[in-house]
Amino acid sequence: MADKPVYEEASIDGQPPKLASIPASDTTVWADASPLLQAACAGLRDGELIHGDNFNLFAAMSALEIMDPKMDSGIVCTYYSIDEAIENGAAPIPISLDSTIDVRCTIDIMDHLLACEAAWHKGHSLAQTVFSCIYLLRLDRTAPHALLHSYCRIIRATCKAVVSVVSDARTHEEEDLFTMTYGLPLNGDGDDKCLSILNAVEETISRQLRACKATSSKRRLPEDLEPLQSNPNLEEGFCKALLCRLRFRKHFFHVLSCMKRPQGRGLESARKHIASCLTELESILKSADFLRSCFDESCEGDIDDKTTASGFEPIGFDAMLNSRLSAPTPPRAIKILSWKKAVEYFVKLLHDLDVICSYSLDPRLESLLRFVVQFQKSQPDLVARSHLQLLLVQDGKLYGRDPFFAVINKAAALPEATKNHDIQKNESFLQLGMLVMNLLKILCTNAAWQRRKLGKFLQDWRVIYVQLELAFRNEYGEVSSSSNDENTCMKIFQHILLWVEEQTYWIAFRFLILGFELELYSTGEYCMVYWYLYAVLIKLTEKTHLMMAVSHDTAKRKGKKKKDSPKDLARESRIPPAVLFLQCYICLAEGLTMYLSRCLLL
Amino acid sequence: MLLQQQKETRGRERTMEAKPEEKAEFEEAEIEYVSYGGEHHLPLIMNLVDQELSEPYSIFTYRYFVYLWPQLSFLQAFHKGKCVGTVVCKMGEHRNTFRGYIAMLVVIKPYRGRGIATELVTRSIRMMMESGCEEVTLEAEVTNKGALALYGRLGFIRAKRLFHYYLNGVDAFRLKLLFPPPRQVL
Repeated sequence: MADKPVYEEASIDGQPPKLASIPASDTTVWADASPLLQAACAGLRDGELIHGDNFNLFAAMSALEIMDPKMDSGIVCTYYSIDEAIENGAAPIPISLDSTIDVRCTIDIMDHLLACEAAWHKGHSLAQTVFSCIYLLRLDRTAPHALLHSYCRIIRATCKAVVSVVSDARTHEEEDLFTMTYGLPLNGDGDDKCLSILNAVEETISRQLRACKATSSKRRLPEDLEPLQSNPNLEEGFCKALLCRLRFRKHFFHVLSCMKRPQGRGLESARKHIASCLTELESILKSADFLRSCFDESCEGDIDDKTTASGFEPIGFDAMLNSRLSAPTPPRAIKILSWKKAVEYFVKLLHDLDVICSYSLDPRLESLLRFVVQFQKSQPDLVARSHLQLLLVQDGKLYGRDPFFAVINKAAALPEATKNHDIQKNESFLQLGMLVMNLLKILCTNAAWQRRKLGKFLQDWRVIYVQLELAFRNEYGEVSSSSNDENTCMKIFQHILLWVEEQTYWIAFRFLILGFELELYSTGEYCMVYWYLYAVLIKLTEKTHLMMAVSHDTAKRKGKKKKDSPKDLARESRIPPAVLFLQCYICLAEGLTMYLSRCLLL
Repeated sequence: MLLQQQKETRGRERTMEAKPEEKAEFEEAEIEYVSYGGEHHLPLIMNLVDQELSEPYSIFTYRYFVYLWPQLSFLQAFHKGKCVGTVVCKMGEHRNTFRGYIAMLVVIKPYRGRGIATELVTRSIRMMMESGCEEVTLEAEVTNKGALALYGRLGFIRAKRLFHYYLNGVDAFRLKLLFPPPRQVL
């Protein structure tokens, strides 16, 4: 039987009572360690240190000084536990007995949760953001409050879905914080029904809205329906404010579900829901004027910094309750995004997702690479990038649909017929398929990580080239065209070897160009960088031109029956536009190198 | 070469100064640079770092440095007996290179913009070079223009960008100074 906590007298200003002692439980007992510590202090001289063999920098930096508020998570907190917080009225149900205030407070909670969600997406831990909401930590408690309950359920289901997508995409390093969910109640029974629960609440509020509009136009009340809250002047405003928020959540959840469908089957539906989300976000923004004006009391501080549309502080949040769950780092007060910035974040996220959903799933690799590079220019965040990656690489196939050998076959300008050739079972070709898959994954990561990976990746592409070349020479050392199949195999090797070279130079080019975006080059280094670009572009252009010539050959062989018209001959001698474009780059790089080298001399 | 750079840049640092709000008055010659002398220096260093840097470090972090590299780890700048700046470093093998690492660099506000930080770093680098290091690295926030300028002048390049390295979401640059290979003995 646990001891009852010993409380001091509750202070007059309504602060929660401070515990005089932390209660012992069934499995713990307190013992005074002061004499032991005293003796230990006397046992060491100035400058002496006792340490284990593993006393390295990481161990030293992970050490904490107990009771130092900068390092000890437990020392700074208002409540010892979630239960204590609830017992002290930190998360009341209903929020207020005055239904008008209750509704406004519910909207404040919804807004603050949106701000928390955006802060989480931007890189803070789930424990300190979305799950700083006490209502969310004990969701079953909210059952009597239909509005809060349905909203909390869908938030929980949404967070779970987003964590799942980002986990599957397997993020790296600093982005690992995103998927840390241990200790958090992310799995709820019945969350699969969250949409129907939300729909029921939405339906009720829609009827309440219709009812209050009917009253205002002096028409007879169609149903005997209880209004949302007690002030008839505010009824319409509140109903509208709630409806757009509920609808946004519904459509956003649908976006995630649609995009999850394999092989991009749900992309078109997702686009429709994205459009609805954006409409609802606009309504949410517009509702701010109403929410700020409906109460006489004005709120202190800059309205733009607030995490709610109304400007009031939300009830029921405590970021320190989970401080012990948030990562192995010292406790840090994080700044939740302002409500306005949160809405902006979601607008951008939705636009990025829309770009992904509009993609035509082009089977040509070079188009796909161009698309990904272009997409990355808008600096999409983690959630958008994870969705892109999962669309591109599923079940070891491109778009979950095209085997990578077939993709390479096409990219290397080989005829359709060879895409099922047995040669793909060869170890080197299997590895090449993996390299292409990894390239796509790397291209979906954040620019900083991407550049480092691409730099190391160049080595892998060089190695595969050497391996393929070796395999080629071993099989077809002498030029002897006996069987048809041998001819085909030779051709496959030749095309693919050329293609691998082209890809390698493309990766080198991306590596160099990313340095500009990441601000890695000082002005004094530009000359050197442009010179390298010039060298790489020359090789890239050479290989691209060769690839195009070879692909033209393949096309020609297809339509062998037709006679060569003068038009065809003319087309052959013209330089393909893609190559011309690269030649422009070469001229630019060369010019800049020359110009900058002269600047250095001055 | 380094000394020449310092002379040129001191002038630039002065013009870059913001309106001095309680700038200390002193001559460069009055600054005394002192290596770690013992336990009595430790609280000075810890206070300085605690005051100026946002990352909290336990006593163990400092002990780690001073225990393993007593000569190198702490260099301090004193003005009339008061510790006004410090640099904390280490050296070690890292993937087949012997490299130096600058962990912390602090100069209190009234003494900034006068080349103390540059002097602290320069002396540390010299010591690392003499100890056989092949390179020196550190991380700095991408927004810390002062630090980036200081190290840029000393020849550090931006080797990598680290996404959201700091907990406030700011990216970092990994800065690296490569030493020229030692002269071959004929």
